[in-house]
Amino acid sequence: MPLYAVLTGLILGGVIMAIAKYNPFAAYAALFSGAFGSPTAIGNTLAGAVPLILAGLGIAVAFRTGLFNIGAEGQYWVGAMAAVWVGYHFPTMPWIVHVPLALGAAMLAGGIWGGVIPGLAKAFVGAHEVITTMMMSYIAILIAHFMVENGPMMAPGYVPQSPTVAASATLPPILPAVFLNSNLSDGFFIAVAAIVVVHIVLFHTTLGYKLRAVGFNARAARYAGMNVPLYTVLALGVSGVLAGLAGGVQLLGVDFQLTDTFQSGYGYTAIVVALLARNNPIGIFFASVFFAALSAGSQIMQINAGVSANMTDVITGIIIFFVATDRLYGYWSQKMRPHRPSSTAAIISGKGESPQ
Amino acid sequence: MKKWLGFAAAGLTTLLTMSSVIVPGASALAKSSNANFKVGLVTDIGGLNDHSFNHLAYVGLEAAKAKYGVTVSVVQSHQSSDYFPNLSTYAQQGYNLVIAVGFLMDSAVQKVAKEYPKTKFMIIDDAITGHPNVMSALFDTQQCGYLVGVMSGLMNEQKHIPQINGKNVIGLIGGMNIPPVTSYMAGFIAGVHKVNPKAKVLVDWTNSFTDPGLGKEDALSLISKGADIIFPVAGGTGDGAIAAAKQKNVFAIGVDANQNYLAPKTVMTSALKGVNIATEIAIGDALHNHFKAGLNFFDLKNKGVGFAPPIAAVPKSVLKKVDSFIPLLDSGKINPPSSLS
Repeated sequence: MPLYAVLTGLILGGVIMAIAKYNPFAAYAALFSGAFGSPTAIGNTLAGAVPLILAGLGIAVAFRTGLFNIGAEGQYWVGAMAAVWVGYHFPTMPWIVHVPLALGAAMLAGGIWGGVIPGLAKAFVGAHEVITTMMMSYIAILIAHFMVENGPMMAPGYVPQSPTVAASATLPPILPAVFLNSNLSDGFFIAVAAIVVVHIVLFHTTLGYKLRAVGFNARAARYAGMNVPLYTVLALGVSGVLAGLAGGVQLLGVDFQLTDTFQSGYGYTAIVVALLARNNPIGIFFASVFFAALSAGSQIMQINAGVSANMTDVITGIIIFFVATDRLYGYWSQKMRPHRPSSTAAIISGKGESPQ
Repeated sequence: MKKWLGFAAAGLTTLLTMSSVIVPGASALAKSSNANFKVGLVTDIGGLNDHSFNHLAYVGLEAAKAKYGVTVSVVQSHQSSDYFPNLSTYAQQGYNLVIAVGFLMDSAVQKVAKEYPKTKFMIIDDAITGHPNVMSALFDTQQCGYLVGVMSGLMNEQKHIPQINGKNVIGLIGGMNIPPVTSYMAGFIAGVHKVNPKAKVLVDWTNSFTDPGLGKEDALSLISKGADIIFPVAGGTGDGAIAAAKQKNVFAIGVDANQNYLAPKTVMTSALKGVNIATEIAIGDALHNHFKAGLNFFDLKNKGVGFAPPIAAVPKSVLKKVDSFIPLLDSGKINPPSSLS
């Protein structure tokens, strides 16, 4: 647990706020109360973590297979589009069929967008997935714009947004009496289930072993007789399925309609989440909650402590920076240890002496 | 009890703002009791520096703070899923009036208004009805469109002005065929034809609010067809149209805010949408228990719409003629159309 990384970030952020004439204590109190201060705040923080968990898991699966899926944002939006389309087209369907159908459509769309197309391009013609997933992401976001700006998914009227999904396609809120008026929906259980499934598949099945083997060394895996193109497509496919599911869950649980504001940012933040968690599914849970807490808390920091939005972004950025670079602490602490000229740190730093 | 509250509030304001000067006298006391009245502003994802309605709403909020001494707070939304939590946070904390900027927050406001019936909400540029605690601020932009139309029609007859080519053609660019845009356009066309029936108004649609390149291209094409005044009602796309007008040395008209700074010798005036005025008025109304739920139209009379002071190239006689239409619009003798036929 990079506790002192968080602490350093908080202290430096506090100094900057003090220089900018804000009260750092009031600001941090607001940050914390906004993230965890009430059942509603906790509900919103957990709700904010849901799309990050799902998209982050997808990115982690790709990373484990040695692939960099940078297009989770676009896969999120194709998933969102698919889920909303199914969500409002069949108003009379029973809940038990409608929700799985909408989420299934989201997963399929994300999987095709992020996995099958870039995966096949990578496996058979060697197109690098960083380029293809990113370009597919732009295409997805622009298609989503087209759909609601006088396009086929625009609701009647002039506001560029889709119709609202039918009640039978919404994910119900969790304990609405406790998490009063928060965004927390059953999507949270889906995210937790996804963590368990991804963890089991990656670490306790042959499939997961093979995926990781391809990630460790694709040539060795091929030499060992593994079908590397298959696992490439599969890993990017699963990655896209999870990012698409993130979009579906968010739209059926929180947003309920596509609005003309395609900058969720979840797909990009999820990359940082996966890196921060070192691609560990359980770590992704905590990293996602951490990011969601900063996001929810920073809004309350504006409301309660009057800290401007730009400053809250600076503060959260600083905290994230220190958490992300917490390996520095190990490096420093080794370097500070006196009289160990043979230690690895000393060799890396190229100096035999420790600084005073 | 009330007096005590007043003093406590006064103390609180000093503590909170540090710089606030408490002037002795009755008005100061009234002002400091107004500090108990809390107004929260939630921006959409455009943020405060959008050069448009989020910014203007903030200007109005600050003006109300200075005028009435109410307590204000602002939060910028990161994502569309932040709208509902941000609105409900203010409601939960006992804010008296919560302002939502822009039609993107329509569904969030409807939801939060039901959850917090005791809190008053205002939404800007969107029509919500049927909630006793929601007021919608809408703007009669056909009126300011009409006035700048009158100005354009008259200007086109001023053949001694170098920018005017005598072809009597005016270019009108629409961002999208939606009511907030077409109301400006319909009023504009009516205004031009009122004073200059022979003028030709060429209409062009960009279907984008964010593409200055496209705006420039379309404006150049209109100018090549003889237009010597360009009125873009197309958000950021219009910036390109103004650049084209500057390049070809013809006139342009700004929209929503005073856009003269974009090209000081080209933008002869701007049709204004007073989001700041509406915000300030709404805060005053809510403070003095005159909150009006439902649709509230802001027009010339309450300075909710208007036009920016014209540049020197616009002759005084033209301005005088334009001004003469204001009472006619105010009294309803002239009722410009709000939609294109």
